[in-house]
Amino acid sequence: MNPEYTYQVGDRIKTVRIERDGEGFVVTVDGRAYDIRAERPEHGRLNLQVGDRRLRAVVARDGLRRYVAMAGETWTLERPQAQTKRRGAAADRAQKRLEAVMPGLVLDVLVQPGDAVEQGQSLVLLSAMKMELRVAAATAGVVKAVHCAAGEVVERGQVLVEME
Amino acid sequence: MFQKILIANRGEVAVRLIRACQEMGIRTVAVYSDADAHALHTMLADESVRIGPPAPAASYLCGDCILDTARRLGCDALHPGYGFLSENADFAAAVQAAGFTWIGPDPAAMRTMGSKTSARAAMQAAGVPVVPGYQASQQDADLLAAAAAIGYPVLVKATAGGGGKGMRTVTRPADLPDALASARREAQNAFGNPQIYLEKLIASPRHIEFQVFGDRFGNAIHFFERECSVQRRHQKIIEETPSPLLDAELRRRMGEAALAAVHAVGYVNAGTLEFLVDPASRAFYFLEMNTRLQVEHPITEQVTGVDLVKLQLRVAAGEPLPFRQEQVSQRRHAIECRIYAEDPANGFLPSIGKVLRAVEPGGPGVRVDAGITTGDEVTVHYDPMIAKLIVLGEDRTDALRKMDWALSHYVLLGVVTNIPFLHAVINHPVFRRGEAATDFIDREFARWQPPVADPPDLVLAAAALAELLEGAALGSTSVAVGAEARGDPASPWHQVNGFRMGVEATR
Repeated sequence: MNPEYTYQVGDRIKTVRIERDGEGFVVTVDGRAYDIRAERPEHGRLNLQVGDRRLRAVVARDGLRRYVAMAGETWTLERPQAQTKRRGAAADRAQKRLEAVMPGLVLDVLVQPGDAVEQGQSLVLLSAMKMELRVAAATAGVVKAVHCAAGEVVERGQVLVEME
Repeated sequence: MFQKILIANRGEVAVRLIRACQEMGIRTVAVYSDADAHALHTMLADESVRIGPPAPAASYLCGDCILDTARRLGCDALHPGYGFLSENADFAAAVQAAGFTWIGPDPAAMRTMGSKTSARAAMQAAGVPVVPGYQASQQDADLLAAAAAIGYPVLVKATAGGGGKGMRTVTRPADLPDALASARREAQNAFGNPQIYLEKLIASPRHIEFQVFGDRFGNAIHFFERECSVQRRHQKIIEETPSPLLDAELRRRMGEAALAAVHAVGYVNAGTLEFLVDPASRAFYFLEMNTRLQVEHPITEQVTGVDLVKLQLRVAAGEPLPFRQEQVSQRRHAIECRIYAEDPANGFLPSIGKVLRAVEPGGPGVRVDAGITTGDEVTVHYDPMIAKLIVLGEDRTDALRKMDWALSHYVLLGVVTNIPFLHAVINHPVFRRGEAATDFIDREFARWQPPVADPPDLVLAAAALAELLEGAALGSTSVAVGAEARGDPASPWHQVNGFRMGVEATR
């Protein structure tokens, strides 16, 4: 069985299949096949040879996010969540636990436990580098707990508000 | 010369200053907040001292914390860089009172030039042209007469103002009374002071500044101009020298005005006189003076061959300027792009996180002044400018091509940057023709979005090959990769034994 990788591009999924072929690989992207030689990346540098063309990509990963810089442009790709079941659970969690998408300073907390909120209603105001960000309810519901206070500095991924 | 200098700043300017000191054999002390505990400037300095929590008020703006550090570590001078305490005359005076040398102008000159009204008065007295205006009376009749004398269009501005509040553009006399009334109301609400004044509106002005230097012996020289007309929300993003607008005659006249200003206030050390230039009439007007080193100083260094930071240290140590005006020349063409960690596709919101990979361009005529490198964090606490990319070309065309190349070869993975935006700006026909005025970005890029395109197949192939080859190399001991790949039925993790990638298997 050959390894296959999927990437989310906009609302579409792109599939990349890799087969080993002698010294190199046959890489198939959406049905188009390329003969590519590649070495293991060192310090994020990935050297590729495609026919007579040699290319150096710089690659990095952060969670499900993949970065590729190549030929003067930088691309950000997302690997989809692995399984539907897990994605369902994760999405469910995300709706119930609202996290800070970037580190910042809490300017104001607009709700308290027990409040009923509408979908899209602002719950917390964050300031990051003097810009204002709103953390909004993903669905309508009731606030179970508030885990931040005005004036507090929060980290990325920190849970700010929990919904019932 | 100094033995040990405290660098009261962070980021790329702190790195720039420390390097200059090291090249001159002077020891350096860096200060840092908790957010910068692993920052590049702390690693480069000979000694690094924590001064407080991340909030600037408790660290880089805490004059007492910084002075205590200077005393404790036996420094003999302090360089403020730009931003933070660099234009705080009270702090400069406190530094001197504590017995240290302030690497910058005298506090008195900082005070005179730091206030818009006193700077304007000083420049008028020195014969430097200022934007025509009127602030002698608050009476509507007087203001109407003054506006007629200045010539429409005029700007109504709040005396206590800032941030565009209480500001009105008036193109004909009939509209002035209403504009005065509403500007007063807005000024009263915003600043608690209804006073307003009039200024001539210069349509599509160019922002052109002159780098000046004075020493303790009454000598003054300028290092020519920098054009900084490419601005977004009053923030410079691209600077160049020479200015494509100036000819030799206008350059000479502006240079003379800049020197007159330096002599008038007895200015010592590095400073910059900012002018607005009306491209239609080619008249120039004093805007303000920055009493410090500027962010865009490298382009001046590139075309004059003078290290402005080292010159600052020499002048601060009491040496005379080592050359006369006629010995300073402007050769070739330099451009600087400011690299910001911000997302142009998302309203230019700051983008923060870890820089997973930084690969800087290099080679002939390319200079990078960066405050971050691979593995560093861009945090929420400070200015999102993370680096400056500077090129020196044979002429403007060559410099533009070099900048195009260098932007393409600047890799920063992990944070979103304005590099695609800079790319679009330097390739815009108006900028390429050298005709960009201060309203250029607002006019041409108000709703700009980075081009959306599907990644080429080879990019996807590279991403997948990287996963396969890195996965195979990391082996089963890598928790991060393993944990992520376990849930993926297509992962090569499950087939890794069947693959031999030309690297040694780890099990």
